[in-house]
Amino acid sequence: MPANKKYLTKSPWLRLSKILAGSVGGYAVMMSLHLFFTAFLPKEYVIITACFTGYILWAFLLLYAFIATNVWRVWGLYILLTFVFALPYLLKFNLNYGS
Amino acid sequence: MDPRKYNIYFHTHTISGIIIAALLYVIFFAGSFSFFKDDISAWQKGRSEVGRQFDPPYNHLLDSLSQHYNLRGRNFNFYLLRQGQGTYVDMTASQDTTVSKPKPKPKKEEGRRRRGEDGDAAYFRYHFADKTAGDYSDSYDMAEFLYRLHFLAQLNQVGVNIGTPFGYLVAGIVAFLFLFALITGLLLHWDKIKSNFFLFRPMSKWKTVWTDMHTVLGVIGFPFQLVFAVTGVVLIVNYVLLTPFANLLYDGDSEKLYESLQYNKTIKVDYTYKPMNGMFDMDAFVGKWQSEWKNSQISRIYVRNYMDESMQVSLEAKPNPDANFAGSGFVTVNIANGKVLEQKSPDTDGNYIDAVKSLVYHLHFGDFGGKPLRIVFFLLGLMGCAVIISGIMIWLVARDKVATELRKRKFNFWATNFFLSACLSMLPVTAFTFIMVKMLDHVNQSVIYKTYFYSWLVLGVYLMILRSLPRMNRHTLLLSAVLCLGVPIANGISTGLWMWNTWQQGAFDIFFVDALFLVLAGSCAYAYTRVNADAKPFKVLSLRKAPEKVLKSSVVK
Repeated sequence: MPANKKYLTKSPWLRLSKILAGSVGGYAVMMSLHLFFTAFLPKEYVIITACFTGYILWAFLLLYAFIATNVWRVWGLYILLTFVFALPYLLKFNLNYGS
Repeated sequence: MDPRKYNIYFHTHTISGIIIAALLYVIFFAGSFSFFKDDISAWQKGRSEVGRQFDPPYNHLLDSLSQHYNLRGRNFNFYLLRQGQGTYVDMTASQDTTVSKPKPKPKKEEGRRRRGEDGDAAYFRYHFADKTAGDYSDSYDMAEFLYRLHFLAQLNQVGVNIGTPFGYLVAGIVAFLFLFALITGLLLHWDKIKSNFFLFRPMSKWKTVWTDMHTVLGVIGFPFQLVFAVTGVVLIVNYVLLTPFANLLYDGDSEKLYESLQYNKTIKVDYTYKPMNGMFDMDAFVGKWQSEWKNSQISRIYVRNYMDESMQVSLEAKPNPDANFAGSGFVTVNIANGKVLEQKSPDTDGNYIDAVKSLVYHLHFGDFGGKPLRIVFFLLGLMGCAVIISGIMIWLVARDKVATELRKRKFNFWATNFFLSACLSMLPVTAFTFIMVKMLDHVNQSVIYKTYFYSWLVLGVYLMILRSLPRMNRHTLLLSAVLCLGVPIANGISTGLWMWNTWQQGAFDIFFVDALFLVLAGSCAYAYTRVNADAKPFKVLSLRKAPEKVLKSSVVK
């Protein structure tokens, strides 16, 4: 019993969009989230922690792009999250002086 | 569970799984054997490294090097082997231009510098006990081969130029998709985890057997496999994370990033052209720090500007995991005035970065619990292989229905046929290569490559043209049993190191490899008798005849 096709994406373009949203978009969200933490914590600690949290989070974000009902909303959400998380970096806001 | 989500988990799990199946099997199989890397290396060289205690003869090494080279002003990097029985030595050309006499380099060759081709620099492996040196290709053994196969290093040489080692990148992508498949697999099985935790129905029809095997072993092995998926990605393609971090936070200076993560230290010392007064006793120097850090092992030694007034030596050390799980230490000393320039004790000065990195290394290499832990990890690794094989079988059987077009069924069968013959032939091919390295006179990298890959190709093609999965299974089991049995015999004949001899000598590393293959031979022989008695016909290409009962009843729900 392969998965029931009724629930799967039929259009190849939509599928490509989901794969890209999950991989590229998910990666951007994951990177920017860790970038966000470097505003408050020592950056080398955040980076080394990302070895574990980064890849797992990325895998879940990739999955979410398939689970969500509307992939364009996923695009919007991921772009928004990336932007919000990157704000401290873009504004050069850093509470963790010293690093 | 919401049927939509269930089916999406199902589909993403299937697709990611089938894409990586064959490569992941190679990674798991070769990786499992790599837990015994040191033993295999000792086995092949016929030289046990168990329980040897001696002080590394650095002075002797430098002395004999100085008979061929003028050592003044050179840099040395020593990368010590894990058991401390030897070291890789990387010697650069001299900083002293009166010694190195640099020629203007032809511009073309600048892009890629291969080790050992730079002037009279040298890179070799040195064994402490018998004080012999060999170049990398000559010291290349089955241990190194299987270890490198498990991150597909051999694929780097196929000539796909994408600016990063091709094999490593493929291994990284496989590891990440594996992580993805693990997560979707767990979610897919989520509702039944508790009820089906120990559910195994070996007397049922084949599809049930494979499904149970896949889910039960998958769930039980999940923590182990998750750890290996994540640490595997980290170890092989961490630049995916680190390069952007270096660009964003370190102004693109990845050297600086690596330094702040304590991966490497850049030691830059200006050459002074003033010879250092007195002698440098390297044995005494290393011995002093080794006794300072009692619970640690020196892993790397960097010598800068040898015998120049500016000469510096750095040591790096790693704590023994039973004494201190996480830590790393280093010391840099200016030799001329004996001043300690910087220092961090591996025994006591561990920090958060050490903790995370040690977690990655120790968990992946399984080097924190001695041999019993390695054996458990080895078995869990083989369990991963079983999960992959049963996954491929489920994939085939689930699509093998009368209603499916014949064209598609044929394709599915050949895909499965290809995957399984590539995977199942690995054990006999590995055993065969183990025998050959004992039988051939001169073994180096290219001999191992040829023996392993050509026999893999031949056996793989042979198994594919059988066009029958049960026959393939029987043939590989029989072949594995015979060849695995041949491994200790080949070792005994060629070196006289029969198992009873190695046991008496206390050469347990050599004994262990022989014993391992003996156990594998026994298991394969037992499996062969069972399969011979029970195997059900399972031929897809002959389905013009009446479709079999097994196939019909596999339509579930």
